[in-house]
Order: sequence, then structure tokens, then C-alpha cells
Amino acid sequence: MSGIEFWHWLSLGAILAVVEMVAPGVYFLWLGIAALLVGGVAWLWPDLHWQYQVLLFALFAIADVTLSRRWMRARPAVTDQPHLNRRGEQYVGRLLTLDQPIVDGVGRAHVEDTMWRVSGPDLPAGQRIRVVGVDGATLRVEAA
Amino acid sequence: MTGFSIFVLLVLVLAVLLVVMGVKAVPQGREYTVERFGRYTRTLTPGLNLIVPLVDRIGAKLSMMETVLDVPQQDVITRDNALVTVDGVVFFQVLDAARAAYEVSHLENAILNLTMTNVRTVMGSMDLDELLSQRDKINAQLLTVVDEATTSWGVKVTRIEIKDISPPRDLVDSMGRQMKAERDKRAAILEAEGLRQAAILKAEGEKQATILAAEGRREAAFRDAEAREREAEAEARATAVVSQAIGAGSVQAVNYFVAQRYVAALEKVASAPNQKVLMMPLEAASVIGSIAGIGELAREAFATRPAPTLPPTLPPGIPPA
Repeated sequence: MSGIEFWHWLSLGAILAVVEMVAPGVYFLWLGIAALLVGGVAWLWPDLHWQYQVLLFALFAIADVTLSRRWMRARPAVTDQPHLNRRGEQYVGRLLTLDQPIVDGVGRAHVEDTMWRVSGPDLPAGQRIRVVGVDGATLRVEAA
Repeated sequence: MTGFSIFVLLVLVLAVLLVVMGVKAVPQGREYTVERFGRYTRTLTPGLNLIVPLVDRIGAKLSMMETVLDVPQQDVITRDNALVTVDGVVFFQVLDAARAAYEVSHLENAILNLTMTNVRTVMGSMDLDELLSQRDKINAQLLTVVDEATTSWGVKVTRIEIKDISPPRDLVDSMGRQMKAERDKRAAILEAEGLRQAAILKAEGEKQATILAAEGRREAAFRDAEAREREAEAEARATAVVSQAIGAGSVQAVNYFVAQRYVAALEKVASAPNQKVLMMPLEAASVIGSIAGIGELAREAFATRPAPTLPPTLPPGIPPA
């Protein structure tokens, strides 16, 4: 066991990166990064005991996941379609006509080829409304 | 192996497990619910997510894409007691993953059953004819009812379509016969109308022709009468002139004309090429008498004048007596 040197860690890192590419699950990526980091440390301190190397690997594995998450939160991935799979949010800002009056805060309006429940201040049927938000399957609206 | 070594290996296993269990990459189009000690806490959206492996657990994995469900065939009895077989499709989309996961169990089954019972309710309140001709209305009504019911599940039913409405075989046959009879009726009526129209047109034509012919006859009669009138007038005038002339001259002048005509007629008769045997009342005596009349006339004329030096000659064209 004590014969572990930095080449082994670097090899492990490469292997884990390859495994991640072949079988994506986003688990092996972090382990691979940790292995490469331990490989770097072992290259700097070749006398480091193998137990400490393994402990460092465990520490790096957990640390790189949490740090990367924090880093990604700060820089969210840019997407062309921010409202993908969020049907209601695609309609925010849209002008509609009320089909049924809003009574006690709930009415119905036609959007594209289907009906949506809308909630907002009481308004008569035929009123022009604007979608300002969405709660699940209900659009929040106000008079336009 | 020392205790420290064992501890190190256990830490390694724990770290690997923490990474493997804690990292959740949610693909686009899906959302996962997270339960902390069995209680729903939050929803994981597409992208890289971390959960705490010891306390958090993934509850439900929901598809946020619009999904289509086949509504299986079922028998529906219409208001006028026709038994029809109906099937359809439902399109729905989960909009609120947490509600869809925890407000209802077996979401698809629930939507399906809701749709099936409402199909029966809506279609059972309609006549067969209405059923076949008003699919849009049925779809709209179904959508309203089912969508209302699924709202509390965080689900939006976007469309319900009745795919196929098939009445029983014998009913379809009867419907076919009914349609054929209807067309036959229309054809017969049109044919009769055509015949009637034709008869009317024909009669009208005949009437017009008769009227025109009568009018023609009337016109002709008028003209004939006019002609006769004119003729009579002319004759009267001629007679008057002749009688005047006679009054002024002698009766023998009349005889002159008669003789002239008479002789001319004789000539014509005699020269007719196809008459070999001629039968006609020819009074030679009267012809001679006429000519004698001319002689008389001549004598009279000469008597009133000084006696001519030359012997009297007959005018040319008059045969010697």
C-alpha cells in the first residue's frame, strides 16, 4: 500500500474521467477531479503517507462537489429557452380576453387552443387581461 | 492493518457514497421531488443538484413534458338509446411537480378514469346525431370539466379529443339507407319538377303558335277585305267610266271590246299545244254578231264623216267576216 505514488492518482483521475464520459451520471467527474488533485499533492510531497493521501482524496471529493455547486450557482448556465417545460411562464406578459368573468378571484380564459384557469381581481367576461404570473396550473392576471 | 488504516478506508467509502448519492443531475423535461425524512421539502429542477445523502431522499421523478394518454374504447349509451363505442386521447402536462406527486396517487390512472367517466356523462346527455356532428362541442365540454378537476393536482389538461365514435353495424346501415332515401327523394322531386316545367313550356309554345296563326289569319282577312273593297271601287269607277263613254258614244263601242276579247281568247285556245280535241261552247253566231257590231260601228262612224274615197278597210288584227 505504501508504494502509491502520484502517477497512480493521476491515472485514477484519468480513468474516472473516461468512465464519466462513457457512462454519464456526473458522479465520477468529481471523484476524478479529486484524484487529480491528490495526484498533484503527492507530486509535491512524495513522502506523504498513503492514509493521508486517501483522506485527502475523500476530502477533495466532497469539497469539489460543494465548491463547484456554489460556483455554478453564481454563474448559471445560459440557455436559449429559459421557460422550457414551464408552460405557464411562457405566457407571462401576454394579453388575453376573459371567456368567463372572474368571480371570487377565479375565472377562465382562452390561451392558444386550450382554456386556463385565471386568478385576479373580479372582472367581467370579455375584459382584456394581462398575465403577470403563474401558480401551478393557474395564471395570475390583472386588467390590461 | 492498523485502526487508522481501517478508518481511512471507511472515510473513503463514505466520501464516494456521499458524492454518488448526493449529486443529482436532473435532465431537461423532468423534475425530482426531495423528501427530508419523508417530508417534501423542495423540487429539483433540470441541471446539477446536490442533496444531503443522509437526510434527503429523492421522492418522485416527474416528467414535465406534455404527455398523451390513450382513453380506451368504451361503450356509451346516448340520450336516444343508441349504443356507441368511443375512444379518445388526453393531453396533459404537469405544471407543479410537488402537487402532481403528492396530491394524487397514480396520476395517469386518475386522469384516465376522470376522462372516461366524463365522456360517458357528456355523451350520454346527447342524441346520436348531435354526437356525430358536434365533436368540437364535446371536446370543449370534456376539457372544461376534466381540467377543472385536475387543477388541484398541479396538472394542466391541454386537450381532450374524441378519436372515434362508432355506432353499431346495423345502425350504420340504417343511416346509410336513410341518406340514400333522402337523395332518392330529392332526385324524384327534381325529375317531376323538370317534367312539369317542360309540359308548361310546351303548352305555352303551342298557345303562342296558335295565337300567332290566328293573328295571321285575321290580318290576311283584313287585307283580303280591303282588296275586295278596292276592287269593287275600281270596278265601280270603271263601270261608271264605261257607262259614261257609252252614254257619250254608241252601244256598238262596247261590242268592239267584247269582240276583241272574244277573238283573242279563241286564238289562245286554238294554239294550246296539248289540246288536240277542243270541246267548248262556241257560238259562232255570237262571234259573227260581234263582228257585225263592229261593222255597224264603222258604218256609223263613216256616216258622220264625208264619204271616203277609198273602199273601207278593216283595222288590222280583225279577221275578215
